[in-house]
Amino acid sequence: MRVARGAGYAFGGALMLFGLLGLLSDAGDDHPIGWALWFAGGVLVHDLVIAPVVVAAGWALRRVARPVRAGLLVSVLVVAGVAPVVLALGRKPDNPSILPLPYGRNLVLVLAVVWLGAGAVWAVRRVRQRRGVR
Amino acid sequence: MNTQDPDRGHEGPEETAPAVAPVAPEEARGAPPVEAPGSGDAAEPGDAEGAEPGGVDTRAAAWLGASLGVCFTVAFVTGLFSHFLQHPGPVQWPSRPVGLYRVTQGVHVVTGVAVLPLLLGKLWTVYPRFWAGIREMREGMPRPGARLRDVREFARTAGGRGLLIPLTAGAIFQVFTGLTNIAYWYPWPFFFTTAHYWTAYIVVGALVVHVLNEWATARRALTPLRHAPPATGGTDRRGFLTAIGVASGVIVLATAGETLVPLRRLALLAPRAPGAGQRGVPVNRSAAAAGVTAPAAYRLRVRGDVRHRAEWTLAELAALPQHTVALPIACVEGWSVSAHWTGVRLRDLLRAAGVAEDANVRVESMERGGRYRASEVAPPHWHDPLTLLALRCDGEVLHLDHGYPLRLIAPDRPGVLQTKWVNELIVHGGAS
Repeated sequence: MRVARGAGYAFGGALMLFGLLGLLSDAGDDHPIGWALWFAGGVLVHDLVIAPVVVAAGWALRRVARPVRAGLLVSVLVVAGVAPVVLALGRKPDNPSILPLPYGRNLVLVLAVVWLGAGAVWAVRRVRQRRGVR
Repeated sequence: MNTQDPDRGHEGPEETAPAVAPVAPEEARGAPPVEAPGSGDAAEPGDAEGAEPGGVDTRAAAWLGASLGVCFTVAFVTGLFSHFLQHPGPVQWPSRPVGLYRVTQGVHVVTGVAVLPLLLGKLWTVYPRFWAGIREMREGMPRPGARLRDVREFARTAGGRGLLIPLTAGAIFQVFTGLTNIAYWYPWPFFFTTAHYWTAYIVVGALVVHVLNEWATARRALTPLRHAPPATGGTDRRGFLTAIGVASGVIVLATAGETLVPLRRLALLAPRAPGAGQRGVPVNRSAAAAGVTAPAAYRLRVRGDVRHRAEWTLAELAALPQHTVALPIACVEGWSVSAHWTGVRLRDLLRAAGVAEDANVRVESMERGGRYRASEVAPPHWHDPLTLLALRCDGEVLHLDHGYPLRLIAPDRPGVLQTKWVNELIVHGGAS
């Protein structure tokens, strides 16, 4: 058991080392300093900016009904996930097949469906609660 | 090394399992997890040992962690497959099944797209622990003259927690660069493919160690559920995890249609849409971007290790036996589109020039520069009767953006290796 554990740690450590050495060996391609900035930057932005903002937002919304909070949570996550597509910064004039859709309008449609769902959950809960009270 | 959370590992189950099973566990713990974020702080003061450190919901963390473990493993395996198709080593990949790469790369990208809500949810769940952990490490820093055992203990804890930095940073990096790459947006100075590839090893290596460290904790956190009666109304945890899952599902449904035909009409937010582009087949690189124009006098030449050099004009190629195959363009960015391609079998041309059966072929493009201006075709692929140098797509002469006058199209092959604007075949190696 201890041996298996030790082997697991060694394997994990070896993979990490392999990745790091690979990054350095391909330095012409992957620009190690730029890589390091983005590598560290992502987690720093999350831990020091995004998470505190979400904490504050959660605190501000603590009295809001649950389906609304859930709807907000889903909406924020969906927007975060598709933001690079919706912003469509990768569009190129010579290639209309890249990012060809009206993403702003489509995002509104998708979020409308999310909120219809949240509304349905809210309605079902209310009906149930009332029956429960009776 | 399992000192990561020697304190946290135990209290979850001990506290919740027998006593509170019928009630929602986190309510019993008095630290409703996620939807009331401020609560983490309430649990913090004076809970150095034994109590709830930072009010982390171990069960939610374990659920999300397990899902993330599966997703990252799937993405790693499919990603490695894609890498080795593009950088063949000693192993020659088979040309069948025809749609294998379409499936593996579709899975890779769909998994990556689904993973963002899981990752953010997981980080959110353990976030209170982040500050508690930093405070503990600061307070627990061994003083000069501390006992060796304490120093070692501290170093092990620090090592276990330090590992979370490459794990978290790497996971965020992979998901962010992946999502941005499929949207063709490159705001960084490095080449995406190389950085995404090497960082994958860092993340998965850290993940292996993390799983070893947390396996027991996660197991304990997930076990009580088996014996608990079905929960009545939604608890906060259930609601939170459901919202995460719904968000993942919505993103997948709104994008996966770029490769999954049955979901095509739902693909409202997919970066690529089948049907967009010249004649309904999208491209990654237009002729304008590649600096290619229709040639006035075209010749396809074969040279290298051949018995006799050969060349064909476009009319001569069109006069050779034509074959029509249905093959997908399956891109590394995860989209795919099937089309009917008509042209000459690559093996017919090569055999006409007299090549060894085990020779490799380099298919060259008229494109002057660019990372993907040429591609290697190994014997399994050029032997395949489905591998064509195509002159037509869906019955019409190729559009310049699709590689007019001639393009390679082969089964089970990433789109970037389906070389366009082909004008030269260079044969190398082989027995004869």
